[in-house]
Amino acid sequence: MLNVGSHCAIGGLNIDFLINIVLLGFLVCTALAIVFTKNLLASAMLTGIYSLLTAGFFVVMDAVDVAFTEASVGAGIATILMLSTLKLTGFDEDPARHNVKAGLLAVCGVGVLLLYGIVDMPVFGSPTAPVHMHVAPHYIYQSMAEIGMPNIVTSVLASYRGYDTFGETVVVFTAGIGVLALLGASNHVPQSRVAPMSQHIILRVVSKVLIPPIFLFALYVQFHGDYGPGGGFQAGVIFAAAIILYSMIFGLDTARSVISQPLIRLLSAFGVMLYGCVGIVSLLNGHNFLDYSALAHDPLHGQHYGILLVELGVGITVASVMILIFFNFASRVDMVQEEQ
Amino acid sequence: MFVAAIVGLLVSMLFALVRAFLGPTIYDTILSVNVFGTKTVLLIAVFGFLMGRPDFLDIALVYALINFVGVVAVARLAQSLLRDKVAMLIACVCDSQWDC
Repeated sequence: MLNVGSHCAIGGLNIDFLINIVLLGFLVCTALAIVFTKNLLASAMLTGIYSLLTAGFFVVMDAVDVAFTEASVGAGIATILMLSTLKLTGFDEDPARHNVKAGLLAVCGVGVLLLYGIVDMPVFGSPTAPVHMHVAPHYIYQSMAEIGMPNIVTSVLASYRGYDTFGETVVVFTAGIGVLALLGASNHVPQSRVAPMSQHIILRVVSKVLIPPIFLFALYVQFHGDYGPGGGFQAGVIFAAAIILYSMIFGLDTARSVISQPLIRLLSAFGVMLYGCVGIVSLLNGHNFLDYSALAHDPLHGQHYGILLVELGVGITVASVMILIFFNFASRVDMVQEEQ
Repeated sequence: MFVAAIVGLLVSMLFALVRAFLGPTIYDTILSVNVFGTKTVLLIAVFGFLMGRPDFLDIALVYALINFVGVVAVARLAQSLLRDKVAMLIACVCDSQWDC
């Protein structure tokens, strides 16, 4: 997106630049700390910091939609899944069985090659960089007339690059199938136990109050993605986060009785199908696959309908796959604990 | 004004980061990650106002929500860790009393 903000400077030093340098310094320190930490739980927590820093960095670079995704996926869901995994595997790092020095040598070699590659790259933020000369001006100047969306990122993601996003959605769906195939403990019926956090009244009350606004916010992110930062991916993850919160506080069994697992499985496929069907409808109307201009008499309206439906498909798939993955991880954790 | 706030936030982020790295126990790390998350929320919000882009507040909101969910997950894990530890301690005490 275009940077429309005013630049403030202190003593000739651009505040953007200052924040970038500080955040990058933090990032390097965090990466080193992750490498040197032996306790895996501490490592997982530090990756949370890493993700927070990255998202701050994206915000400073004005990549708001990416920051949004990083916030919801990297800092939220990824940490939760890592913690569930650690509960299964234990918290201590195994002693290295491979040759550490050879690995270090390989990493250093690749690092030197990468540094060598940087020499040829254009200066950071240079307006004459090839990436800004190719299709970017077309997107920036023409997308309002062609697509009619104030948020250029959504236009590019859902319309100009509709194929890529379709591919990403299929990847998310495939990941869900992979987790189901590996951990598929869905037929396991746990005996009714007391919810793990039943004695935490504050958490229960706060969650009860928070969950409806989280759902509302997810819907806002889903349908406001055309006008501001957001879209299907982010909304799906936020939606799933609310359900994950519910199942963490009130127990997996309660959550499962609210959300039927077969329905979620069906929905995860339905989202991908919705996306593909939009493409096929435009194909049947005599246009290219995923050319939404075919969906209505007015091409701009067609684009709006198409993007709305496609984002909805992405959101449904992402939310249901996230819920599926979490349910399977959590039920596996419960199974292991019961065996013990 | 906003610049001063940002500098202050960056400094406090540094303190949280130091505690996360040095933290003698795992609970220090957990707490400092939580503090760091809050600081990031504030940083993004203040930066949005500095750049005249109040829509950054959406991202700050997501952070606040996600942070809460993450903290609940960590708290649950810590609770179960603590329970294991207590169980182990009780087992040890019982062993030393009766298993001789």
